[in-house]
Amino acid sequence: MSADATSPGTSGTAAESSAPTDTARAEDEPRPATYYHLARAVLYREFLIFVRYPANAIGGIVVSLFFFAALFLGGQLLAGQALTDSIEGIVVGYFLWTLSVGAYSSVSNDIGSEVQWGTLERHITTPFGFAPVALLKGVAKVVRTFLTSAVILAVMLLATGTRLSLAPVTVVAVAGLSIVSVLGLGFAAGGVTVLYKRIGNWLNLLQFGFVALISAPVFDLPWTRFLPLAHGSAMLQRAMVDGIRLWEFPVADLALLVAVAVGYLLGGYLVFQFATGRARRLGVLGDY
Amino acid sequence: MARSATSARGGPRERGDTREEPDDVSPDETTGPPALAVEDLTKRFGDGDDAVVAVDDVSLTVERGSVVGLLGPNGAGKTTLIKCALGIVIPDAGSVRVFGNDVRDGRRAAYADVDAMLEGARNDYWRLTVRENLRYFATISGVDPDSVAARHDRLLDRLDLADKADTPVRDLSRGMKQKVSLASVLAGGAELVFLDEPTLGLDVESARTLRAELRRLAVEEGLTIVVSSHDMTTIEAVCDRVVMLSNGRIVADDTVEALLGAAASDAVRVASPDLDAETISELRERFEVVDVDRDARPPAMTVAAGGDRLYEIMDALRAAGVTVSDVRTVQPDLEEVFLERTGSDLGAGRGGDPR
Repeated sequence: MSADATSPGTSGTAAESSAPTDTARAEDEPRPATYYHLARAVLYREFLIFVRYPANAIGGIVVSLFFFAALFLGGQLLAGQALTDSIEGIVVGYFLWTLSVGAYSSVSNDIGSEVQWGTLERHITTPFGFAPVALLKGVAKVVRTFLTSAVILAVMLLATGTRLSLAPVTVVAVAGLSIVSVLGLGFAAGGVTVLYKRIGNWLNLLQFGFVALISAPVFDLPWTRFLPLAHGSAMLQRAMVDGIRLWEFPVADLALLVAVAVGYLLGGYLVFQFATGRARRLGVLGDY
Repeated sequence: MARSATSARGGPRERGDTREEPDDVSPDETTGPPALAVEDLTKRFGDGDDAVVAVDDVSLTVERGSVVGLLGPNGAGKTTLIKCALGIVIPDAGSVRVFGNDVRDGRRAAYADVDAMLEGARNDYWRLTVRENLRYFATISGVDPDSVAARHDRLLDRLDLADKADTPVRDLSRGMKQKVSLASVLAGGAELVFLDEPTLGLDVESARTLRAELRRLAVEEGLTIVVSSHDMTTIEAVCDRVVMLSNGRIVADDTVEALLGAAASDAVRVASPDLDAETISELRERFEVVDVDRDARPPAMTVAAGGDRLYEIMDALRAAGVTVSDVRTVQPDLEEVFLERTGSDLGAGRGGDPR
């Protein structure tokens, strides 16, 4: 960090003689921060917390793997060969589920914590406006979730001896766009938490609903494609199980994937905006 | 801390680049819009019979570079007033301007120059170090953190936090955490800073240090500070001017000296073991006995003693055979001024705390 370069000793010396002080003062006239600085600050903070407190990430990975083990072993007992035949589908679905839960809960819990810490107001009263800050935080959460889910995926593949197509661009693009819609749900839930503190905890249960969305029957009920995750999940299955590359998908499928992602993200953000606006009128923003 | 980047870029406070006149205060600095202008502000919480008027038609102007105290019991409307000024609470009526920018219309422009430390809030990230917090919140307030790195060092030096710059905030003591919270608020170079109960929960020593530092920052950095508190020691020590709030209304607005001066009652407190009920009732007939404290050791009474009355009181005491063990003039404090103006004391907030 460049701030470390200027030790208190250095500035002390400058302050002792008067002539250089004027120059120093002129030099440290504050410059406006750009979106680049904002992005750097927000992403760097996420990174610092990720590397400094790895227990949280590792804990999440362990819990996810435990659930998968229960699912896999329990399923083998009940379904036997049938499960083994569809194991690829289960691994891909579970991978997408951990991604979704990670993105959703990190955004909604983050908003909840920031309300408690009194830092949410400071992000709302920024000259940048809350939207870019929230978006950058969302990006950071998605990147972080991809890292932990990649570990989970690797362990699942090794443990079950499954082989999947792991073309990085395709997987990241399809899975990434799929969970952007969930990010929108996270913002909406966070907004509701700002208004009604207790409901926030209940909204965490929504993550189990993601299972239904991920396994939605998009072929029998085409309208389910417009729900979050459903269409993306179907595309991710084709990409990872059947080895279809991003550019091999029909344009309509890709367009729908993007539209669903943007639509829910925007919708979620609007709910958040509305909720914080109402909280400001009711005077409950930052009350805890 | 000097002006924020945003206002330095294009506002009326921009310095000309023709000549360097470091000590010259440009006329714009003194004649520009006030740091804070609140007009007819009203905020009501709840509906119908349960409605509470937290802020009731308040108008208030805070000039640049001044330190103003908001004094009042819990529920007087201090925090709501501050939150309205920050745009965190949207008022029902009235307007708030920060350096001429309407908080409601041009919020983003206003946000660059104002920041706040709100009551009981952490305000910063405990898992980051002190310096990381300063850099983060400087950026959030719209200032490139590299351009104010030296400033941050000075700030940390001044607040005695330089040794702890690279320590995560969670590992610091309560008093230090409070100072980091203050530093993070000042990190972005906001010129108008609201501090809501800044000494709440601090021990006597930490509170004293923080008060001294606030005063120093205000003078040396030319900050405009609005301090809200129900603790008059903080207000008396830090502020030039006091705005007293009660039930959402301003009940007094003047300098500390003027408020105390107006309340000066020219009274003396006389203590003596000889002050029994009989003596006191005799004295009551001739003098204005303001207060009697029989439980004090020795018993004491407070008597109005303007003009030549003091000599007469002393003569009367001698005549009554009272040996005086202690005489002192009664110094009014802000608490008494508040009591005088509102009929209630500072400790007594109204039932609910609508904030």
